[in-house]
Amino acid sequence: MSLALQALVNGLISGTLLAVPAIGFTAMFAVLRFPNFSVSGIATLGAFAGYAAYAAGLELIGSLVAAFAVAGLVGLALDRTAHLPLVKQGALPAAIASIASGLVLENVIRLGFGNDLRGFDRPIARDLHVGDIRVSPQQLETMGLALAIMLAVFAALAFTRIGKAMRASADNPELAALKGIRPQRVAMIASFVGMGLVGIGGMLLGLDSSIDPLTGARILLSIFAAAVLGGLGSVPGAVLGAFLIGIAEELSVLVVGSPYRTAVGFLAILVVLTARPRGLLGERAF
Amino acid sequence: MLNYLLFIATIGSIYGLLALSLNLIWGGAGMVNLGLAGFFAVGAYASALATTDAHLPIVAGWILALAAGGLAGLVVTLSTTRLREDYLAIVTLGFAEVVRLVAANEVWLTRGTDGISGIPGPWKALLGSDFNAVYLLIVLTILALVFLLMRRIDRSPYGRVLRAIREDAQVAQVAGKPVLRFKAEAFALSAGIAGLAGALYGHFTSYIAPDLFLPLITVYVFLAVAGGGTGRPAGALIGAYLLMVLLESARFLVELVPVISAVQRAALKELIIAVALILVLRLAPGGLLSERVPAAPRLPMEGKS
Amino acid sequence: MKRVTLRRRTALLSGVAALAAPAVLRAQSDPIKIATLTPLTGAGGPYGPVMAKVAASVVDEVNAAGGVLGRRIQLTSEDDQTNPDAGVRAARKLIDVDKVAAIMGTWASSVTTAVAPLCWESKTFLCTVSGADSITQLPHQGFLVRTQPNSTLQVARSGTFMLSLGAKKIYTMIPQTPFTQTTFDLMGKLVAKAGATHQGLIYDDKKTTYRTEVDQVLRSNPDMIFAAGYTPDTIILLKDLYRAGFKGKIIGFGYAINQKLVDQIGQPEVVEGVYAYSPSPDEGSKAYERVKKATGLANPDPYTCQVYDHVNLVLMAIAQGKAATGVGIKDNIRAVAQGGGTAVDNAVDGLKAIAAGQKVDYSGASGPCDFDDKGDIIDCKFRYDQIKGGKFTLVKIG
Repeated sequence: MSLALQALVNGLISGTLLAVPAIGFTAMFAVLRFPNFSVSGIATLGAFAGYAAYAAGLELIGSLVAAFAVAGLVGLALDRTAHLPLVKQGALPAAIASIASGLVLENVIRLGFGNDLRGFDRPIARDLHVGDIRVSPQQLETMGLALAIMLAVFAALAFTRIGKAMRASADNPELAALKGIRPQRVAMIASFVGMGLVGIGGMLLGLDSSIDPLTGARILLSIFAAAVLGGLGSVPGAVLGAFLIGIAEELSVLVVGSPYRTAVGFLAILVVLTARPRGLLGERAF
Repeated sequence: MLNYLLFIATIGSIYGLLALSLNLIWGGAGMVNLGLAGFFAVGAYASALATTDAHLPIVAGWILALAAGGLAGLVVTLSTTRLREDYLAIVTLGFAEVVRLVAANEVWLTRGTDGISGIPGPWKALLGSDFNAVYLLIVLTILALVFLLMRRIDRSPYGRVLRAIREDAQVAQVAGKPVLRFKAEAFALSAGIAGLAGALYGHFTSYIAPDLFLPLITVYVFLAVAGGGTGRPAGALIGAYLLMVLLESARFLVELVPVISAVQRAALKELIIAVALILVLRLAPGGLLSERVPAAPRLPMEGKS
Repeated sequence: MKRVTLRRRTALLSGVAALAAPAVLRAQSDPIKIATLTPLTGAGGPYGPVMAKVAASVVDEVNAAGGVLGRRIQLTSEDDQTNPDAGVRAARKLIDVDKVAAIMGTWASSVTTAVAPLCWESKTFLCTVSGADSITQLPHQGFLVRTQPNSTLQVARSGTFMLSLGAKKIYTMIPQTPFTQTTFDLMGKLVAKAGATHQGLIYDDKKTTYRTEVDQVLRSNPDMIFAAGYTPDTIILLKDLYRAGFKGKIIGFGYAINQKLVDQIGQPEVVEGVYAYSPSPDEGSKAYERVKKATGLANPDPYTCQVYDHVNLVLMAIAQGKAATGVGIKDNIRAVAQGGGTAVDNAVDGLKAIAAGQKVDYSGASGPCDFDDKGDIIDCKFRYDQIKGGKFTLVKIG
């Protein structure tokens, strides 16, 4: 029993980390209306940008900011040049172009850094024991950072003008435009912030393990699973989905063995979508 | 060199089958299948197991592959056709990953990551070095049959219904067309063709393994269809061969670039392919063939060639 | 009707072949072509580039010393993307377009299994570093050798070593690979004979944390964990084992637990006492020193050492048989690899000796490089290291 409880705690922790890129992905979907597959490349890019900043002597927070900024800017540039011009033909061409630009990023990073593994030089400490359950102080720290970022996103969406504008144009672009919200600007901010969050996610997930050009590709399906489970385009849905996927993936280790981890996420999607074709929380952005 | 060209032509033709498969649902019905590699794998495994473990004749293996691909398609589609295309994209991507996991982990059935080697090729011992040429002919024959079928569908009332669904599923529904059934049928047929392509691949190279069926294959096929022209079988075919030319010439191109390491060369090669896909989508959105569909006459240079 | 087309096709083929034939004859003074096919991208990406680099260094040395049979050596390095499909296409190009005599360095077992039939059918020689048992059992007609000991041998040696360390409860943590099943079966038998117990867990090597896996394993209180993955996943696994406070012993493959891993983890106490074992490169040998110099690495991995040996062996076999073809290499590789003669550790010396009519016996960076009839390596020594204070210290070679 305590094994399952421990798995639950582990799942909550990894779910928190997963939530950050999942929010980014789903927020972009809410505004731009296509599934942006380049998140795999962007997550890797964020991880490498954060790594470079950290190696150059920046603190953790500073490195996260660097990951956010680089991933956001590059993501924005890709959206502008490669993806969004295709959206008028439908979501699919844009999605396919984004698969290609994810590949472009992966290989640009490979051109520059090679395939070598790199790791953040962070202290590794023994776990803290709370009763039968153990948690690692580092993971608590990363989890805290992830939670703070999520809170900031929610606050921004709820209280700032641009946040409100984003929600408005996600729910009803025409109405939002009538109200004087410039869709172009909202789209650009969605790209920048969404991709930035994905970049931070890549770095957060790389903090504890190691990074290489395939870092993003390894977490791509989990990000998608989280966003789809919660309802594509719903920010709270992405958070809920991320927790559920995180927990399901850890519990699956005990039940079917960890090789089928991805399959568990996929099955969860199928089950939920059969009952609720628009995901758990529907598609309202907020 | 000749063997190399035959080899590339055969693989190109197999990609041609995949492109026709994708074109049927993407160009035809506006559905997407990011799990193409998964159906490709299902067919490859079905036929490989049937002809090695169960010692069935190769043709039986191929028919089985067609059926297994179609069945897998039906299963996926029944749970997802109600979904919007963006959901379908993600679900099918997940499906391909699950197929790969099963192939890698169910060692009793698939021999796991070892893969299945020694898959028989038709008259391979008898033909010796002519095998490549004969196999290419076989693949071309099958490709031609599938192509004719696709053209038939494209021009039949059935194809028109599919296109109507692509343009507006609700209108089609209102017009009394059983949209779900049409979509499911098209998807299953498409998946069956992908399965057949997988079988042809396995009997050609004599070896399959889970590593073969990476999502990159799906990306390649999308590049082929997008480049050749969505919605026209001939476009998909041409796209597949152009893709092969691009894939292989990228190999020779990067050899010309001096003073970079082998990794960088490999990265550059994948980079070229990815950039090509983006450029095709951006600059020739209809693909090569559909461009000829009467559009705005704004090509003053065209008369010159 | 069909038969007619077939016959016409064959006629066409032989016509083209006839046209091509004089070109082959004329090519005598052209360079000798060989190739590496290593994973430069994909899961094997951390290993393949260095392998390609060391191969290039051997070719450069030999060319600087005048080549082989008076001809220059031309090395082509292709990427198998750690993917059999890409591997097959690359091999096809190497065989049919570049017309290489030998392909060296295939790494993933799946790629080797896929590429091997193309090689023996076209009489191209294949040297591989893949360990799966099944590879040398392929009907390769002698066109394949491997320098990596097969998985049965590797697992048996590691099991014996673990028992010699006094292990009573061994737990193997391993991703799904071609040697996963062999490992479980063999360890089970070996360990039972010695009155110890063995359990195994297969994990997903794409995960970013193994906390739950570690919990599950530690539940049965093992005193020895066999961490049988690759570097990226083993880094995460070792960190999580440390965090969980695991006090027992840990052992893993040298290709995963290497200096790169230690540097990555960055904190010596996390890896303190961890054992690594690998087919022993012949440290202290001049060949090994040259590999170190060519790669700039303090501890080049066994694959790199093996590819170094592939290139040396292939070039000497070509000189020995005076034929830059796969058949020539197949017929002569054992003549230069084993069976007595002047001991040499690099192709430059070996080529001189061969030119002088001497018999040579090559021992390289990875060891003596002697092969049995199936192409498996005979007499491979293993080295066992333990990490102490962030440095690898030799426990024993044997």
